Amino acid sequence: MPLDTSTTYPLTKLRLDGRRWNELRLIQAQISTNPASSGSSYLAMGNTTILCSVHGPAEGRRGDATGGAAGSSGAVVEVDVNIAGFAGVDRKRRAGGSDRQSGRVASTLRSAFQSHLHTYLYPHSTISIHVSILSADGSLLAAAVNACTLALVDAGVPMPGLLCGCTAAMSGSASTPMDPLNDFLDPLLDVSLPEEQELPFLTVATTTSVPGRTDEDEDDKKVAMLTMDSKVHYTYIETMLAVGVDGCKQIREILDGVIKGSSQR
Amino acid sequence: MTAQRQASSASQIPHLSPAELSYLYTSLSLPGTPIRPDGRSPTQFRPLSAETDILPGTNGSARVGFADGTQAIVGVKAEVERTVLGVQALSQAEQQEYAEGNEGADGGAGAKQGSTSGQGSWVQMCIEIPGFRDDDALPVFLSEMMREPLVESVSGGEKDGDGDEGGMVGGLKGRLVINRRWHWRLYIDVLLLSQPLSYPLPLLSLTTHLALLATKLPKLKSKGEEDPFFDDDWNAAEYLYPRVRTTRASIPGSIHKVRPPVTLLVISVAENIVFDPSREEIAVADTVLAISITYDTGSNCLKLLSIRTVDPPSRLTQPSVPNSENVATLGSTAAAEASAIINPSTGEEEVSGVWRPRRGGVKRATIARMVKMVLEKGGVGEEVLDGLEGVEVG
Repeated sequence: MPLDTSTTYPLTKLRLDGRRWNELRLIQAQISTNPASSGSSYLAMGNTTILCSVHGPAEGRRGDATGGAAGSSGAVVEVDVNIAGFAGVDRKRRAGGSDRQSGRVASTLRSAFQSHLHTYLYPHSTISIHVSILSADGSLLAAAVNACTLALVDAGVPMPGLLCGCTAAMSGSASTPMDPLNDFLDPLLDVSLPEEQELPFLTVATTTSVPGRTDEDEDDKKVAMLTMDSKVHYTYIETMLAVGVDGCKQIREILDGVIKGSSQR
Repeated sequence: MTAQRQASSASQIPHLSPAELSYLYTSLSLPGTPIRPDGRSPTQFRPLSAETDILPGTNGSARVGFADGTQAIVGVKAEVERTVLGVQALSQAEQQEYAEGNEGADGGAGAKQGSTSGQGSWVQMCIEIPGFRDDDALPVFLSEMMREPLVESVSGGEKDGDGDEGGMVGGLKGRLVINRRWHWRLYIDVLLLSQPLSYPLPLLSLTTHLALLATKLPKLKSKGEEDPFFDDDWNAAEYLYPRVRTTRASIPGSIHKVRPPVTLLVISVAENIVFDPSREEIAVADTVLAISITYDTGSNCLKLLSIRTVDPPSRLTQPSVPNSENVATLGSTAAAEASAIINPSTGEEEVSGVWRPRRGGVKRATIARMVKMVLEKGGVGEEVLDGLEGVEVG
C-alpha cells in the first residue's frame, strides 16, 4: 500500500499517523525551563520539539548600527532560529550556521512578534528570542510561534493576547476549482512532515482581539500572521483558513492551561 | 556580539577590577584551603541535573543543566557510509594477504588489525554556541579538543583477550567498522542553549559522554563482507559502547566496560589546584588545563588520554599599580615597600594586594600534582565517572 495521504486518505478517512482531519497532534509544553534566561519554554507538537528562551527587554547593544535609532519608539524584537543538525531524519550539514529555512522562520517570527507585543512600553531596548529546534516533524513555524508565546509570557512581556499558530492543509493537490457538489477533498489540521512535503498547506496565527471591545463574534478571529508557500486554487483558501483558525483556538486553550498550571505550582 | 566573536578560546573575561582580581587570587591561593567565591571545596563540582534519551529522532541524546542555568543538549546521529580505500590501504591489504599465505599465525593477526582499524575522520563533532558562528575559534577549538581524545582512545580491549564480552577492539574507531567496505559515520552535534557563563568545556564534555553512553546502533544482520543489512527492531539495537552486567554492588543494572573519555577543566592558583572553575576563578588562574581521562579496561583504573593547556584569560587583565609607583600617592608609600613577597608558583616578586596579570607558565610539579589528583584511586576522575554512571541510561 502506498504511504501517501492523497491515495490513502480518500479510502480510510484516516491520515498517515492515524488522526482524523480535525485532530491536533499531542501537545506538551512547559514554561520556565531555563533559569538563565528571562523567560523560556519547551514545546512539543507531536514529534516537533522546540526550546525557546527570551532575554530582555534589555538595553540594546551599543555600537550596533540599528540599535540606537530604531529602538527609540519601542523595543526591537530580535529572533534567532537554530535548527539542530540532528533535528531531521538525515543529519543535515549547514554552512556557516544558518540556512534558508531557519532564516525564513526567524524573519516571520520577528515581524509577527514585533507588531504583536506592546513594544512601545520599552523604548530603547531589545527583546531577543532564541529558538532551538531539536526535532523537526512539520509545522515548524506554527510550533515556533507557540513556543515563543509561552516564553514571552514567562518573561512577562505584555501582549494583548496569546499568539497561537497552527497549520492547515488540503488532502489532495487542490489545483482545480472546488466543485461544491462533488467535493472529495478534506481540509487537514496540524500537518506533519510527510504531509507537509506532499500537500498544499498554510500556517496561520491568531490572537484574541484587544480587551474592551467585547464583540463575541470577533473573539478569537484576529489573524495576526498568515503564510503559505505552496500552490492551491483560491477557492480552497477559505476552507483551509477556517480550519486553521479553529485549530488556533484549540491550541490557545491548551497553552492557557499550561500557563495557568505552571503558575499554580 | 562582535566583541564576543573576536574573543579567543579563553573568552568571557568578567569585568572585574584589579583589586577584585587580587582579592580573588589571594583567597584562592590560601595555603591548603582555598576559599572559592561560591563556597565549594577545591574538588567539588557544581550541582547538575542530567537526563538521557530525550530525543527520539537521534541514535543517542543527553541533556545536562548546571544549577546556574547553562544547559547543553547533545544529539548523536549515525549513518552508514562506504569506506573509500586509499592506495596505501589497498596495498596494505594485499600485503596482509600475502603475509597470510606465508606465515599462518603472524598473518592472521595482521588481517585482524586491518579489519578493525578505523579512521578518526569518521567521527564528526559540531558545537553550536549562541552568539558564535560554528566556524568561530571557540567552537572549533572546543570540538577538536573533545573529539581528539574520543577517537584516539584505544582501551585495552586487545590485551585481555579479543572477542571478550564487553570489550571494544580498536576503541571507538574500531567499533565504527562494519566490514572492509562499509563503516558508520558518527555525527555528534552539541548545542549550548544559553550564553556560556563559564568556560563551557566541562558541561559539553559531560553531556557528550552521557549521549555517547546512550547511543545505540541497529543490530547488524548481514555477515562478513556482505553489504550491511540491519535488524529493523530498535529494541534489538546494540549500544555503541557495549555494556556488561555489573560486578559492583553500588550501581544497579549493567555498566559499561569501555567508556568514552571525559575532559575535566582544572586550574591552578599559586599552590592550590581547583576543579570545575567558575568564570571568575578562571579569570585569576595561573594555568588552565583540560585533562581527558577514561577507564583503562585492562587494569581497571583510570588512564590519562590528553592534556591541553587553555590560554588563561588572566593574561589579558589590567594590572594594578602599587602605591610606590603611583604618582597620585607618591610620598606616602614607605610602609608598603616591606610587603613584597615572592610568589611560590611563578617566582615573581609581588606586592601583596596588587594584581599582576599572569604571564603563563606552570611548574612541572604542579602539573604532576594535577594529573595525580585526577587519576588516583578515589580521586576526582573516578568520582566524576561514577557519578555519570549513576545517571540512568536507556
